[in-house]
Amino acid sequence: MRIVIAEDLFLLREGLVRLLSAHGFEIAAAVASAPELLEALVEQRPDVGIVDVRLPPTHTDDGLRAALAARARIPGLPVLVLSQYVEQLYARELLADQAGGVGYLLKDRVFNDEAFTAAIRTVAAGGTVLDPEVVGKLMTRRSRDEPVARLTPREREVLALMAEGRSNVAIAQRLFISEKAVSKHAAGIFAKLDLAPSDDDNRRVLAVLAYLGS
Amino acid sequence: MLFAIVLLLTIGCIAFILVREGQGGPRPNGLRGYIRTRGWGLLLLPVAMAAAVMAGGAHGLIPAELGIAVLAIVFAPRLAAKLVPYGALGLAFFGVMLAKTYRDGSTSKVQYLFVHAGPGAWGTRPVLAEAGVLFAVGLWLLLRLDVPGAGVVRALAARWLDRRRGGISAVQALLLIPVVGLAMQLLGPGNWFGIGAIDGLDAAVIDLAVATAALVLIFRSRAWAATVAAAGLLVLGAYGWLIAAFWPAVPGFEYGFSDLANSSTPTPLWTDALEGSLLLALGLWLAPRVMRHHLADPPDLELVARAQQLTRRVQTLTKTRYDVVDTAAAELRRIERDLHDGAQARLVAVGMSLQAAERLFPTSPEAALALVAEAKESSSRALAELRALVRGIYPPVLADRGLADAIRALALDAPLPVELDIDLPGEVELPVASAVYFSVAEVLANAEKHARARSVRIQLGHTPLAGGGGLAGGGGMLRAQVTDDGWGGADPAQGTGLAGVERRLVAFDGILAVNSPPGGPTIVVIEVPCALSSPKTSSC
Repeated sequence: MRIVIAEDLFLLREGLVRLLSAHGFEIAAAVASAPELLEALVEQRPDVGIVDVRLPPTHTDDGLRAALAARARIPGLPVLVLSQYVEQLYARELLADQAGGVGYLLKDRVFNDEAFTAAIRTVAAGGTVLDPEVVGKLMTRRSRDEPVARLTPREREVLALMAEGRSNVAIAQRLFISEKAVSKHAAGIFAKLDLAPSDDDNRRVLAVLAYLGS
Repeated sequence: MLFAIVLLLTIGCIAFILVREGQGGPRPNGLRGYIRTRGWGLLLLPVAMAAAVMAGGAHGLIPAELGIAVLAIVFAPRLAAKLVPYGALGLAFFGVMLAKTYRDGSTSKVQYLFVHAGPGAWGTRPVLAEAGVLFAVGLWLLLRLDVPGAGVVRALAARWLDRRRGGISAVQALLLIPVVGLAMQLLGPGNWFGIGAIDGLDAAVIDLAVATAALVLIFRSRAWAATVAAAGLLVLGAYGWLIAAFWPAVPGFEYGFSDLANSSTPTPLWTDALEGSLLLALGLWLAPRVMRHHLADPPDLELVARAQQLTRRVQTLTKTRYDVVDTAAAELRRIERDLHDGAQARLVAVGMSLQAAERLFPTSPEAALALVAEAKESSSRALAELRALVRGIYPPVLADRGLADAIRALALDAPLPVELDIDLPGEVELPVASAVYFSVAEVLANAEKHARARSVRIQLGHTPLAGGGGLAGGGGMLRAQVTDDGWGGADPAQGTGLAGVERRLVAFDGILAVNSPPGGPTIVVIEVPCALSSPKTSSC
């Protein structure tokens, strides 16, 4: 699997390269600024771009903007955005094109390399992985929109785990229920959110987007 | 004997009042507590005593007045305290009247509290001095106790102080008073119609009218008061010399401190000359200043107003600067403590876990692995704490995206539904943006925590200011309004939250307005003068 890494701090960039190489990923490019990132993403067309939100030249959200610009040119280009902090605002912007293949994680999730590489694979496959901190805030919030408010507590739990990018198997393990039960809950969620039957991955992305927007 | 009692009563009461003033806290029991609650009212005793003595002290007047005073002090301490200044002023007025009767020759001896005027004494001067002291004390008490009438005195004083323009000082204008006094002495009603021809009330009314006119002139126009004073000084001074040179061809009346009318010898003539010289000197000193003032351009009122505005501004800035420095220092202390107890401590724990793991690897790799996992956990916690700390110092989204998006992020993170109405055509400079962001965040948190609101509406907008700004801002007004449907009852004076917001905003000349009736809804308006810069352009 080919990966482009964008991280301006040398130590972290080399750390990521070493970690991902050790797990058998192929590093197509490792860049340190937003313009380089955009160029690398468009030319290399990696399976996943791993992007730091804050990059030169302005050291604000240049990385995020470059990732969004690349996805505007190559729809659905999988991007995993890393940051020292997570904002629902940015998560919504990343998911807004409804194309999937989006990850948004805190940088310290890298510590857990199994979960991290699993997240990279989920994103590469077109799934959505949101940081538990973003999802956690969604859980504490009183829903304001009708469709999401109609979900049962259990369905909301399942939806939250979906937003974190977990598969039905993982959700079943986490909630100590059968995989079949998870599928049933998922079907219930899709129905209540008025998501027409299409391929499962896309419906998951739309469900998460509805959840974020609620 | 009676005066000694008045004196002792006065000293005693003042001593008790001072004891009372010096102590805070709950009132003690017993006599001392009793005296403390009576306070200034106790001064009514000596005042009543003095008044009774002045009135002759006959027919049981002293016990009667003292009895009434005691009753007032016991049953209406507030009223008693309010009567004291009027009493003192009344006694002072009475002293002046006594001096006048003595000078008119109505009485040969006058006793006024502790002093007297009569043969062998210094004339009426001790009486007038004592009356002056009583007048000053009465005036001070009037202001100190804030009784009715104090407002008028204060307003007059403020008006007086406010009229410090035009280059004529207060002292120069006040010279009108001795000039009028001397003029009345020379040309007063007694001299027009012959001594004794017009006297008593008529003369007093004329004197009072002239004195009032002089005072009104002084307060209305300092410059014109000084002008009249200068002219008067020159004329009266010359007149003094005329008396000294040509007496008795020039009719010699009382002139200042010399009294030729009642003297058959020209020996006091030199005092007339001396007094005339002094007046001439003062007149020659004052006249050019007054003329310069009248010939000069009228004061630039706009400039004066501007100077006053600047003075007020400097006062505000001095105060807010202290507040800001204070707040900043407290904030730094908090950050230091958070780092010390949080992230730093966790990193120490990480180091210790790794150190222990290193030692355990050869012997028990499993235990070592558990320690490494612990170290990872500690470093995650340290990062989480640093994240929270950074958010508290300066939210990254504010740095990345500016105020509008930071408020949007804030609304998304809020646990209750937030309706947004944001209209910011440009960027707000960072310090102001930060202050407004944290203010809105605090108000939003209050709505959720204290007011138990079910929904909140945040409006954020900017009005370009027409006609240029004042001293601050100049580019318009940034306005944030947070409306919630909670219980209401928010008060910036209660609790530290809204007061903190106010302090934060004041540093930028911003204001916080809270309308929160019990039962709600609460509307909080934040306004900060500031200009918008052009919107940030994307770097990509």
